[in-house]
Amino acid sequence: MKAIQEQDCGQVKADLISYCLKNGALVAGVAGADAFDDAPDGFRPADLLPNAKAVVVVGGAAPRAGDWACTIPEHLETMGTSDRINSLGMKVAKVIEDQFGYYALFVPPGMNKGNRPFLSIAMAAELSGCGSRSLAGPILREKFGFMYFSAIVTTLPLPPDAAVESPACPAPECVQMWESEATTPCMQTCPIEDCGCIGGRIEEGRWVERRYDSARCASRVHTYWVPGFQKTLEAVLDEDDKDKRKMMLYGSFFTRTLWSITYAAQSQAQCLECMRVCPVGRDMRTKM
Amino acid sequence: MGFFFIDPETYRRHKDNVIRLSNSIQININEHLPADQRKGGLSDRQIAEKLGLDEEVVREIRVVAERDYYPIDEWQKAITFKEDACRAYQERGVSYATKKYLKR
Repeated sequence: MKAIQEQDCGQVKADLISYCLKNGALVAGVAGADAFDDAPDGFRPADLLPNAKAVVVVGGAAPRAGDWACTIPEHLETMGTSDRINSLGMKVAKVIEDQFGYYALFVPPGMNKGNRPFLSIAMAAELSGCGSRSLAGPILREKFGFMYFSAIVTTLPLPPDAAVESPACPAPECVQMWESEATTPCMQTCPIEDCGCIGGRIEEGRWVERRYDSARCASRVHTYWVPGFQKTLEAVLDEDDKDKRKMMLYGSFFTRTLWSITYAAQSQAQCLECMRVCPVGRDMRTKM
Repeated sequence: MGFFFIDPETYRRHKDNVIRLSNSIQININEHLPADQRKGGLSDRQIAEKLGLDEEVVREIRVVAERDYYPIDEWQKAITFKEDACRAYQERGVSYATKKYLKR
Protein backbone atom coordinates (compact mmCIF):
# COMPACT_ATOMS: atom_id res chain seq x y z
CA MET A 1 0.00 0.00 0.00
CA LYS A 2 1.43 3.39 -1.00
CA ALA A 3 1.40 6.59 0.98
CA ILE A 4 -1.44 8.88 -0.04
CA GLN A 5 -0.26 12.01 -1.82
CA GLU A 6 -1.12 15.30 -0.14
CA GLN A 7 -3.28 16.39 -3.06
CA ASP A 8 -5.39 13.26 -2.69
CA CYS A 9 -6.08 13.67 1.02
CA GLY A 10 -9.06 15.92 0.38
CA GLN A 11 -10.81 13.21 -1.59
CA VAL A 12 -9.90 10.57 0.97
CA LYS A 13 -11.41 12.76 3.64
CA ALA A 14 -14.58 13.31 1.60
CA ASP A 15 -14.94 9.55 1.13
CA LEU A 16 -14.37 8.92 4.83
CA ILE A 17 -16.89 11.55 5.94
CA SER A 18 -19.39 10.12 3.47
CA TYR A 19 -18.82 6.65 4.95
CA CYS A 20 -19.44 8.02 8.45
CA LEU A 21 -22.68 9.73 7.49
CA LYS A 22 -23.95 6.68 5.59
CA ASN A 23 -23.26 4.50 8.59
CA GLY A 24 -25.23 6.44 11.14
CA ALA A 25 -23.29 9.55 12.09
CA LEU A 26 -25.27 12.78 12.22
CA VAL A 27 -22.07 14.78 12.01
CA ALA A 28 -18.46 13.99 11.16
CA GLY A 29 -15.32 16.08 10.95
CA VAL A 30 -11.55 16.16 11.26
CA ALA A 31 -9.37 17.97 13.79
CA GLY A 32 -5.66 18.49 13.30
CA ALA A 33 -3.66 16.42 15.76
CA ASP A 34 -1.53 19.47 16.52
CA ALA A 35 -4.52 21.62 17.45
CA PHE A 36 -4.97 20.32 20.99
CA ASP A 37 -2.98 23.14 22.61
CA ASP A 38 -5.42 23.49 25.49
CA ALA A 39 -5.14 19.83 26.44
CA PRO A 40 -2.67 19.10 29.24
CA ASP A 41 0.54 17.22 28.56
CA GLY A 42 -0.15 13.55 28.10
CA PHE A 43 -3.64 14.12 26.73
CA ARG A 44 -2.88 15.10 23.16
CA PRO A 45 -3.32 12.87 20.11
CA ALA A 46 0.42 12.26 19.64
CA ASP A 47 0.61 11.12 23.26
CA LEU A 48 -1.63 8.22 22.26
CA LEU A 49 -0.33 7.53 18.76
CA PRO A 50 3.15 8.53 17.58
CA ASN A 51 3.18 10.66 14.44
CA ALA A 52 -0.56 11.35 14.74
CA LYS A 53 -1.74 13.75 12.05
CA ALA A 54 -5.49 13.97 12.46
CA VAL A 55 -8.42 13.08 14.67
CA VAL A 56 -11.60 11.92 12.95
CA VAL A 57 -14.74 12.62 14.98
CA VAL A 58 -18.20 11.15 14.50
CA GLY A 59 -21.30 12.26 16.39
CA GLY A 60 -24.81 10.91 16.74
CA ALA A 61 -26.71 8.20 18.61
CA ALA A 62 -28.57 10.65 20.83
CA PRO A 63 -31.46 9.36 22.91
CA ARG A 64 -34.67 9.09 20.87
CA ALA A 65 -37.56 11.50 21.39
CA GLY A 66 -39.41 8.78 23.26
CA ASP A 67 -36.52 8.41 25.66
CA TRP A 68 -36.65 12.10 26.49
CA ALA A 69 -40.42 11.91 26.92
CA CYS A 70 -40.36 8.88 29.22
CA THR A 71 -42.06 9.55 32.52
CA ILE A 72 -39.44 7.94 34.75
CA PRO A 73 -35.92 9.35 35.00
CA GLU A 74 -34.44 5.87 35.39
CA HIS A 75 -35.15 5.15 31.73
CA LEU A 76 -32.92 7.93 30.47
CA GLU A 77 -30.36 6.74 32.99
CA THR A 78 -30.16 3.23 31.63
CA MET A 79 -30.57 3.56 27.88
CA GLY A 80 -27.16 5.07 27.20
CA THR A 81 -26.71 4.98 23.45
CA SER A 82 -23.07 5.93 23.30
CA ASP A 83 -22.18 2.35 22.39
CA ARG A 84 -23.69 2.86 18.95
CA ILE A 85 -21.42 5.78 18.09
CA ASN A 86 -18.44 3.94 19.56
CA SER A 87 -19.23 1.03 17.28
CA LEU A 88 -19.08 3.38 14.30
CA GLY A 89 -15.81 4.81 15.60
CA MET A 90 -14.27 1.34 15.59
CA LYS A 91 -15.50 0.77 12.03
CA VAL A 92 -13.91 4.02 10.89
CA ALA A 93 -10.61 2.96 12.45
CA LYS A 94 -10.80 -0.31 10.54
CA VAL A 95 -11.51 1.47 7.24
CA ILE A 96 -8.53 3.77 7.72
CA GLU A 97 -6.17 0.88 8.40
CA ASP A 98 -7.57 -1.62 5.86
CA GLN A 99 -8.33 0.68 2.94
CA PHE A 100 -5.75 3.42 3.35
CA GLY A 101 -2.95 1.68 5.20
CA TYR A 102 -2.43 4.19 8.02
CA TYR A 103 -2.50 3.70 11.77
CA ALA A 104 -5.89 4.41 13.33
CA LEU A 105 -6.49 4.39 17.06
CA PHE A 106 -10.06 4.32 18.32
CA VAL A 107 -10.04 6.47 21.46
CA PRO A 108 -11.45 4.37 24.30
CA PRO A 109 -14.54 6.03 25.75
CA GLY A 110 -13.75 5.02 29.33
CA MET A 111 -11.43 6.47 31.92
CA ASN A 112 -7.69 6.17 32.08
CA LYS A 113 -5.55 6.44 35.21
CA GLY A 114 -6.12 9.52 37.29
CA ASN A 115 -9.83 9.32 36.53
CA ARG A 116 -9.20 11.16 33.29
CA PRO A 117 -10.27 10.30 29.74
CA PHE A 118 -7.60 9.06 27.34
CA LEU A 119 -8.28 12.12 25.19
CA SER A 120 -10.89 14.85 25.54
CA ILE A 121 -13.40 13.71 22.95
CA ALA A 122 -15.36 16.91 23.63
CA MET A 123 -12.32 18.96 22.63
CA ALA A 124 -11.87 16.81 19.52
CA ALA A 125 -15.53 17.34 18.60
CA GLU A 126 -15.18 21.07 19.05
CA LEU A 127 -11.93 21.35 17.08
CA SER A 128 -13.32 19.23 14.24
CA GLY A 129 -16.31 21.53 13.78
CA CYS A 130 -18.78 18.85 14.85
CA GLY A 131 -20.27 21.16 17.44
CA SER A 132 -19.56 23.68 20.12
CA ARG A 133 -19.32 23.48 23.88
CA SER A 134 -22.41 24.43 25.87
CA LEU A 135 -22.72 26.12 29.22
CA ALA A 136 -23.79 22.79 30.68
CA GLY A 137 -20.78 21.02 29.22
CA PRO A 138 -21.91 18.74 26.38
CA ILE A 139 -21.00 19.58 22.80
CA LEU A 140 -24.07 20.79 20.94
CA ARG A 141 -24.75 21.04 17.24
CA GLU A 142 -27.39 23.33 15.86
CA LYS A 143 -30.44 21.37 14.71
CA PHE A 144 -29.34 18.14 16.43
CA GLY A 145 -28.55 19.39 19.94
CA PHE A 146 -27.03 16.87 22.32
CA MET A 147 -25.39 13.76 20.90
CA TYR A 148 -22.59 11.32 21.67
CA PHE A 149 -19.18 11.45 19.99
CA SER A 150 -16.41 9.06 19.14
CA ALA A 151 -12.86 9.94 18.06
CA ILE A 152 -10.20 8.14 16.04
CA VAL A 153 -6.58 9.31 16.11
CA THR A 154 -4.75 8.54 12.88
CA THR A 155 -1.48 9.02 11.04
CA LEU A 156 -3.49 9.62 7.85
CA PRO A 157 -2.79 13.30 7.02
CA LEU A 158 -6.38 14.45 6.51
CA PRO A 159 -6.98 18.19 6.14
CA PRO A 160 -8.66 19.57 9.28
CA ASP A 161 -12.06 21.24 9.45
CA ALA A 162 -12.58 24.60 11.06
CA ALA A 163 -14.31 24.94 14.40
CA VAL A 164 -17.91 26.12 14.36
CA GLU A 165 -17.96 29.93 14.05
CA SER A 166 -21.16 30.62 15.97
CA PRO A 167 -21.69 28.37 18.95
CA ALA A 168 -25.11 26.73 19.30
CA CYS A 169 -25.16 27.76 22.95
CA PRO A 170 -26.64 30.08 24.04
CA ALA A 171 -29.64 29.61 21.75
CA PRO A 172 -31.64 32.72 20.85
CA GLU A 173 -34.40 31.63 23.26
CA CYS A 174 -31.84 31.42 26.05
CA VAL A 175 -30.51 34.90 25.29
CA GLN A 176 -34.09 36.18 25.41
CA MET A 177 -34.70 34.46 28.72
CA TRP A 178 -31.40 35.75 30.11
CA GLU A 179 -32.26 39.35 29.19
CA SER A 180 -35.56 39.04 30.98
CA GLU A 181 -34.73 36.85 33.96
CA ALA A 182 -30.96 36.52 34.19
CA THR A 183 -31.15 32.77 33.79
CA THR A 184 -31.48 30.14 31.06
CA PRO A 185 -33.35 26.81 30.92
CA CYS A 186 -30.35 24.71 31.96
CA MET A 187 -29.39 27.09 34.76
CA GLN A 188 -32.99 27.29 35.89
CA THR A 189 -33.09 23.48 36.10
CA CYS A 190 -29.70 23.02 37.77
CA PRO A 191 -28.60 26.37 39.29
CA ILE A 192 -25.18 26.40 40.89
CA GLU A 193 -26.39 28.97 43.44
CA ASP A 194 -29.07 26.59 44.64
CA CYS A 195 -27.52 23.14 45.01
CA GLY A 196 -27.06 22.67 41.25
CA CYS A 197 -24.14 22.49 38.87
CA ILE A 198 -24.40 25.30 36.30
CA GLY A 199 -23.89 29.05 36.39
CA GLY A 200 -22.88 31.75 33.96
CA ARG A 201 -23.45 35.16 32.46
CA ILE A 202 -24.36 36.24 28.94
CA GLU A 203 -23.25 39.49 27.32
CA GLU A 204 -24.17 40.45 23.78
CA GLY A 205 -25.48 37.00 23.03
CA ARG A 206 -22.36 35.11 24.16
CA TRP A 207 -21.29 33.46 27.36
CA VAL A 208 -18.71 35.61 29.10
CA GLU A 209 -18.59 33.59 32.33
CA ARG A 210 -19.15 29.98 33.14
CA ARG A 211 -19.19 28.00 36.36
CA TYR A 212 -19.65 24.29 36.54
CA ASP A 213 -19.55 22.12 39.63
CA SER A 214 -18.15 18.91 38.18
CA ALA A 215 -18.10 17.13 41.55
CA ARG A 216 -21.82 17.63 42.08
CA CYS A 217 -22.52 16.82 38.43
CA ALA A 218 -20.70 13.51 38.98
CA SER A 219 -23.15 12.65 41.74
CA ARG A 220 -26.02 13.23 39.28
CA VAL A 221 -24.51 11.75 36.14
CA HIS A 222 -22.98 8.79 37.94
CA THR A 223 -25.48 8.39 40.74
CA TYR A 224 -25.55 4.63 40.41
CA TRP A 225 -22.22 4.27 38.69
CA VAL A 226 -18.68 3.84 40.03
CA PRO A 227 -18.82 6.97 42.27
CA GLY A 228 -22.07 5.76 43.85
CA PHE A 229 -20.52 2.35 44.42
CA GLN A 230 -17.48 3.87 46.11
CA LYS A 231 -19.56 6.12 48.35
CA THR A 232 -21.80 3.26 49.43
CA LEU A 233 -18.89 0.93 50.03
CA GLU A 234 -17.26 3.55 52.24
CA ALA A 235 -20.48 3.99 54.23
CA VAL A 236 -20.85 0.23 54.64
CA LEU A 237 -17.26 -0.22 55.79
CA ASP A 238 -17.75 2.58 58.32
CA GLU A 239 -20.89 0.97 59.72
CA ASP A 240 -20.37 -1.18 62.82
CA ASP A 241 -23.90 -2.52 63.06
CA LYS A 242 -24.19 -5.79 61.14
CA ASP A 243 -27.93 -5.42 60.57
CA LYS A 244 -27.54 -1.91 59.21
CA ARG A 245 -24.79 -3.10 56.90
CA LYS A 246 -27.21 -5.67 55.50
CA MET A 247 -29.89 -3.02 54.91
CA MET A 248 -27.35 -0.88 53.06
CA LEU A 249 -25.96 -3.71 50.94
CA TYR A 250 -29.31 -5.29 50.04
CA GLY A 251 -31.18 -2.01 49.78
CA SER A 252 -32.38 -0.17 46.67
CA PHE A 253 -29.45 2.19 46.19
CA PHE A 254 -26.67 -0.39 46.27
CA THR A 255 -28.68 -2.94 44.30
CA ARG A 256 -29.42 -0.42 41.57
CA THR A 257 -25.75 0.59 41.56
CA LEU A 258 -24.65 -2.99 41.02
CA TRP A 259 -27.11 -3.45 38.14
CA SER A 260 -25.75 -0.27 36.65
CA ILE A 261 -22.05 -1.00 36.87
CA THR A 262 -22.48 -4.57 35.66
CA TYR A 263 -24.23 -3.29 32.54
CA ALA A 264 -20.92 -1.52 31.80
CA ALA A 265 -21.21 1.24 29.21
CA GLN A 266 -24.98 0.93 29.02
CA SER A 267 -25.65 3.27 31.88
CA GLN A 268 -23.07 5.98 32.22
CA ALA A 269 -25.17 8.97 31.17
CA GLN A 270 -27.55 9.20 34.04
CA CYS A 271 -28.76 12.75 34.36
CA LEU A 272 -29.21 14.89 31.24
CA GLU A 273 -31.83 17.11 32.91
CA CYS A 274 -29.99 20.19 31.62
CA MET A 275 -30.22 18.75 28.11
CA ARG A 276 -33.88 17.79 28.42
CA VAL A 277 -34.81 21.49 28.57
CA CYS A 278 -32.20 22.77 26.09
CA PRO A 279 -33.71 24.58 23.09
CA VAL A 280 -30.90 23.39 20.79
CA GLY A 281 -32.14 20.34 18.94
CA ARG A 282 -35.53 20.54 20.61
CA ASP A 283 -37.32 19.51 17.41
CA MET A 284 -35.36 16.24 17.44
CA ARG A 285 -36.75 15.49 20.89
CA THR A 286 -40.34 16.51 20.20
CA LYS A 287 -42.82 14.25 18.42
CA MET A 288 -46.60 13.88 18.33
CA MET B 1 3.50 -6.03 48.54
CA GLY B 2 0.59 -3.68 48.14
CA PHE B 3 -0.56 -0.91 45.90
CA PHE B 4 0.28 2.75 45.88
CA PHE B 5 -1.87 5.13 47.82
CA ILE B 6 -1.07 8.33 49.64
CA ASP B 7 -1.03 8.71 53.37
CA PRO B 8 -4.07 10.53 54.78
CA GLU B 9 -2.04 13.36 56.29
CA THR B 10 -0.52 14.27 52.91
CA TYR B 11 -4.01 14.15 51.44
CA ARG B 12 -5.47 16.43 54.09
CA ARG B 13 -2.62 18.90 53.78
CA HIS B 14 -2.84 19.37 50.02
CA LYS B 15 -6.34 18.46 48.86
CA ASP B 16 -7.78 22.00 48.84
CA ASN B 17 -4.90 23.37 46.79
CA VAL B 18 -4.98 20.46 44.36
CA ILE B 19 -8.72 20.79 43.82
CA ARG B 20 -8.37 24.54 43.28
CA LEU B 21 -5.45 24.29 40.86
CA SER B 22 -6.97 21.45 38.86
CA ASN B 23 -10.06 23.58 38.28
CA SER B 24 -12.27 20.79 39.50
CA ILE B 25 -14.97 23.36 40.00
CA GLN B 26 -14.61 24.64 36.48
CA ILE B 27 -14.65 28.35 35.93
CA ASN B 28 -14.37 29.86 32.48
CA ILE B 29 -12.75 27.01 30.62
CA ASN B 30 -14.75 27.55 27.45
CA GLU B 31 -12.53 27.53 24.41
CA HIS B 32 -14.38 30.39 22.73
CA LEU B 33 -13.47 32.80 25.52
CA PRO B 34 -10.52 35.12 24.92
CA ALA B 35 -7.26 33.65 26.17
CA ASP B 36 -6.96 36.19 28.99
CA GLN B 37 -10.37 35.17 30.36
CA ARG B 38 -9.97 31.44 29.94
CA LYS B 39 -8.93 29.59 33.06
CA GLY B 40 -8.06 26.03 32.24
CA GLY B 41 -7.07 23.77 35.09
CA LEU B 42 -3.46 22.76 35.57
CA SER B 43 -2.32 19.25 34.78
CA ASP B 44 -1.17 16.97 37.59
CA ARG B 45 2.40 17.56 36.47
CA GLN B 46 2.02 21.36 36.63
CA ILE B 47 0.39 21.17 40.05
CA ALA B 48 3.17 18.90 41.25
CA GLU B 49 5.78 21.45 40.16
CA LYS B 50 3.87 24.25 41.90
CA LEU B 51 3.42 22.40 45.19
CA GLY B 52 6.75 20.58 45.20
CA LEU B 53 5.15 17.14 45.10
CA ASP B 54 5.50 14.11 42.85
CA GLU B 55 3.07 13.96 39.95
CA GLU B 56 1.85 10.56 41.13
CA VAL B 57 1.04 11.99 44.56
CA VAL B 58 -0.88 14.90 43.06
CA ARG B 59 -2.84 12.52 40.85
CA GLU B 60 -3.87 10.43 43.83
CA ILE B 61 -4.80 13.47 45.91
CA ARG B 62 -6.95 14.81 43.07
CA VAL B 63 -8.69 11.52 42.35
CA VAL B 64 -9.54 10.97 46.01
CA ALA B 65 -10.53 14.61 46.57
CA GLU B 66 -12.87 14.67 43.59
CA ARG B 67 -14.79 11.77 45.07
CA ASP B 68 -14.48 13.00 48.63
CA TYR B 69 -15.76 16.49 47.83
CA TYR B 70 -19.42 15.78 48.52
CA PRO B 71 -20.78 13.36 51.11
CA ILE B 72 -23.03 10.47 50.13
CA ASP B 73 -26.04 12.67 50.93
CA GLU B 74 -25.43 14.37 47.60
CA TRP B 75 -26.11 11.07 45.83
CA GLN B 76 -29.48 10.78 47.56
CA LYS B 77 -30.23 14.39 46.61
CA ALA B 78 -29.34 13.53 43.00
CA ILE B 79 -32.08 10.91 42.92
CA THR B 80 -34.64 13.40 44.21
CA PHE B 81 -33.42 16.09 41.82
CA LYS B 82 -33.85 13.86 38.77
CA GLU B 83 -37.25 12.60 39.85
CA ASP B 84 -38.49 16.15 40.38
CA ALA B 85 -37.04 17.46 37.10
CA CYS B 86 -38.40 14.54 35.08
CA ARG B 87 -41.84 14.86 36.67
CA ALA B 88 -41.94 18.62 36.09
CA TYR B 89 -41.05 18.07 32.43
CA GLN B 90 -43.82 15.53 32.02
CA GLU B 91 -46.35 17.86 33.59
CA ARG B 92 -45.37 21.14 31.99
CA GLY B 93 -42.92 20.31 29.22
CA VAL B 94 -39.94 22.57 28.69
CA SER B 95 -41.97 25.42 30.10
CA TYR B 96 -41.25 24.21 33.62
CA ALA B 97 -37.82 25.71 33.09
CA THR B 98 -38.47 28.29 30.42
CA LYS B 99 -41.90 29.62 31.34
CA LYS B 100 -43.12 31.64 28.36
CA TYR B 101 -40.13 31.38 26.09
CA LEU B 102 -40.74 27.99 24.59
CA LYS B 103 -43.75 25.90 23.85
CA ARG B 104 -43.43 22.27 24.74
